[in-house]
Amino acid sequence: MKRLILPASAGSISALSEFVRGGAVGAGIAEDELAKLDLVLEEVLINVARYAYTPETGAVEVAYSQAGPRKLHVEIADFGRVFNPLEADPPDFSRGLADRPIGGLGVFLVRSMVDSIAYRREEDRNILSFTFPMDEAPGDD
Amino acid sequence: MNIEPTELEKAVLLKVTGRMDAENAHEFEQACERWITHGTKHLIADLEGLQYVSSMGLRSFLSVAQKLQSASGSLILCGLHGLPRQVFEMTRLIGLFPVFETSQQALATL
Repeated sequence: MKRLILPASAGSISALSEFVRGGAVGAGIAEDELAKLDLVLEEVLINVARYAYTPETGAVEVAYSQAGPRKLHVEIADFGRVFNPLEADPPDFSRGLADRPIGGLGVFLVRSMVDSIAYRREEDRNILSFTFPMDEAPGDD
Repeated sequence: MNIEPTELEKAVLLKVTGRMDAENAHEFEQACERWITHGTKHLIADLEGLQYVSSMGLRSFLSVAQKLQSASGSLILCGLHGLPRQVFEMTRLIGLFPVFETSQQALATL
C-alpha cells in the first residue's frame, strides 16, 4: 500500500486527496468519479481533523492500493480517541426544512458512494477502510 | 469558490462558482447572512458554475434557508447540475428548496 501521513487538520485535506487521486488515476478510475473521491475523503478527513484529537493535535495516515480493475482500496487511520463514524444515526429525511437537522450528512454521503466500508480499532488506531468507486447497482441508471 | 452578488428588485442573486468545501463553506453562509441582516428576503443561488459541494456546504445552504424561512423569505437554487445536484438529491435536500433551471425562472415566481 502507498501511504501518506500528515497533520490531522482541515489544511491537509487537499494534499491527501491529491495523493489518493494519483492512485485513482493510475488505477484507471473514470474522470467523473474523481470529484466523488474528493468528497468521500473530505468527509472522512474533516471528521478526523475535528474529533480524533481535540483539543490536542495528531497525525492522520491515508493509504491506498489497487483492489481490482478500476478499483481502489483506501484506509484512513488516526491515533486518537476511539471513534467509529459508522455508528452515527442516519439522517432523518422525514423532517421539513424548519426542523431538518443540519449535521449528519457527511457519513451518509460516504456510505452512499463507497463499497465495503468498515471500521476497526487496531491497538491505538482507528482505521476506516473502503473500496471506491461503488459497484453500479443492477437496474440503476 | 467565488461569490458574485447582484442586487435585483425582488431578490439578491448570488452567483457561486468553483468548489464549496470544509474550508470555505462558511464564506457562503457569511455572505448570505450579510444580505439577510440588510433586510433581503429572497436569495437566489445560481449554482451553474458550482463544481463541488461537500456536507459542510450543505450545512450552509440548510442554515441559510432556515433563517430565511423564519423571516418569511426563501433561498432559491438554480443551475444545479453534476456532483452538487447528485449530493442534493442523495441527501433529499432537493425537496426542501425551491429549485429552478435558471435564475430567470426563479425570479418569475417572486
